[in-house]
Amino acid sequence: MESVIEIRDLFHAYGAGKKKWEALRGITLTVKKGGIFGFLGPNGAGKTTTIKLLLGILTPQIGTLSVFGGIPAIPRTRMKIGYMPEIADYYRYLTPGELLYMYGDIFGIDRKILTGRINELLEMVGISESAGRQMRTFSRGMKQKVSFAQALINDPDLLILDEPTGGLDPIARKKMREVMISLRDKNKTVFFSSHELSEVELVSDRVAILNKGRVLKEGLLSGFLSAKGEKQTLEGYFLEIIEGSEKG
Amino acid sequence: MRAIAAIVRGMFLELLRKKDFYVLFILMLVLLGFLSAQTFFDIEGISRYMRDFGYTLVMLLSFIVCVTFSARQIPSEIESGTVYPFLAKPVSRSMLVSGKFCGAVMISAITFTLYFGVFVLFCFTEAGRAEAILLIQSFLFGIMFLSVASALTVFFSVFLTTSANVAITFLIYFFMISFSDLLRDAVLAGKGIETLGLGVVYYLLPHFDFFDLRVRLTHAWDPLPLWVVAAVTAYTVVYCAGLLFFAGRLFGRKKL
Ligand SMILES: Nc1ncnc2c1ncn2[C@@H]1O[C@H](COP(=O)(O)OP(=O)(O)OP(=O)(O)O)[C@@H](O)[C@H]1O
Ligand SMILES: [Mg+2]
Repeated sequence: MESVIEIRDLFHAYGAGKKKWEALRGITLTVKKGGIFGFLGPNGAGKTTTIKLLLGILTPQIGTLSVFGGIPAIPRTRMKIGYMPEIADYYRYLTPGELLYMYGDIFGIDRKILTGRINELLEMVGISESAGRQMRTFSRGMKQKVSFAQALINDPDLLILDEPTGGLDPIARKKMREVMISLRDKNKTVFFSSHELSEVELVSDRVAILNKGRVLKEGLLSGFLSAKGEKQTLEGYFLEIIEGSEKG
Repeated sequence: MRAIAAIVRGMFLELLRKKDFYVLFILMLVLLGFLSAQTFFDIEGISRYMRDFGYTLVMLLSFIVCVTFSARQIPSEIESGTVYPFLAKPVSRSMLVSGKFCGAVMISAITFTLYFGVFVLFCFTEAGRAEAILLIQSFLFGIMFLSVASALTVFFSVFLTTSANVAITFLIYFFMISFSDLLRDAVLAGKGIETLGLGVVYYLLPHFDFFDLRVRLTHAWDPLPLWVVAAVTAYTVVYCAGLLFFAGRLFGRKKL
């Protein structure tokens, strides 16, 4: 199977001198095409940093990474990536439709296709009733839904989600899972970070567990859940791994 | 190109819906109030004075709109976190900088056109041919003036906070309008290494004074020769392109 994401010995530090902080301390990770990849780790583990590197927002200091075989810092490489950020307060005075239209234009999507797709996406995330309202009137969950919709505007082959479920109600979460699964069924790839381990457990094929800038575990979810012979929850496994690494 | 157009459209929509769009109208009222005072004193000397201050006011008010608007574009993208989904799309950072510049110039140009139109209506009701040409030149110079102002502010906004940016841009503006001649004389009169330093400063500073046609307009002198217009246009293009280039470079390296 061809790989979509290739990360080799990646280091990344913020700041310099005394203020230097190593966020990533040698990450190696491969994500194959097709499937849902859960990227887990406690606060400050380096998940968002890794995602920013995958999007070319940060540049690798040591090590290499490629997405679809290309360098993410080159705009063309990002053509088929969809990204939902951890936090974004989208342009408050625009409506969700206008936001999606603007992003569609940036991707250079055909105008005729674009309008239809925007309506579809707004319908899918369940905010078509509020499509004409300015986003400053939106609740947190509504903004999250817009954020999810915009990540799909270019019909991505790789969908990167940074803590997508925060603020979403159970119905919206279910919808999001369905979308992720439907993408997998089309042999597309979903890479998402999350703290909601029960959520991760429901959809992921593979997971990686990150702590303090290092990958502690990577593999099939089913393998981790049955690691000790009897069935275990992902949360139980996660805590065991993280606490184990803190002691050792 | 479509990406830039998309950014510009977003900026327009935001401006139209934001309450601080009314700042523009309040400034317009200031201008109108000032200009309409003229009709009470219909004396030759007073009307010259009105042209002088009217023009200064038009330039200053559009400058205020331009600088405050340009300065907050990139910082607010960073603050709200919208830079991330934006830059995750297949566009370069320079594209974001250029888009913001284009939007800011267009909005400033529209504001300026309104203000300048009002000024002409009040102060040049019966302009002759020469005066009409001079007015067209002043209009063009005004747009170019705002382009340089916007490019400078967008450049600063990559590494300065909005308030520091606005303060510095205003200082540079007043300095150039008031002391550019003195500085030039110092460069021309001086010798040795310090002249070199002064010279560098003189040529690097944005020459807002180049666009200032106040005196010519007030005294109804002849229009500028074509080569001057061409030279100032070339200056504007080169200066803006340079600033945007460096702004793109710096923004490209900025850790987000
Ligand atoms: N701009 C920055 N400047 C300095 N340090 C930073 C910056 N961004 C992140 N860090 C540091 O890098 C480390 C990793 O941060 P990162 O945001 O990648 O964590 P995360 O795994 O996404 O955490 P969370 O689950 O809380 O979102 C943290 O220790 C954080 O303090
Ligand atoms: Mg994070």
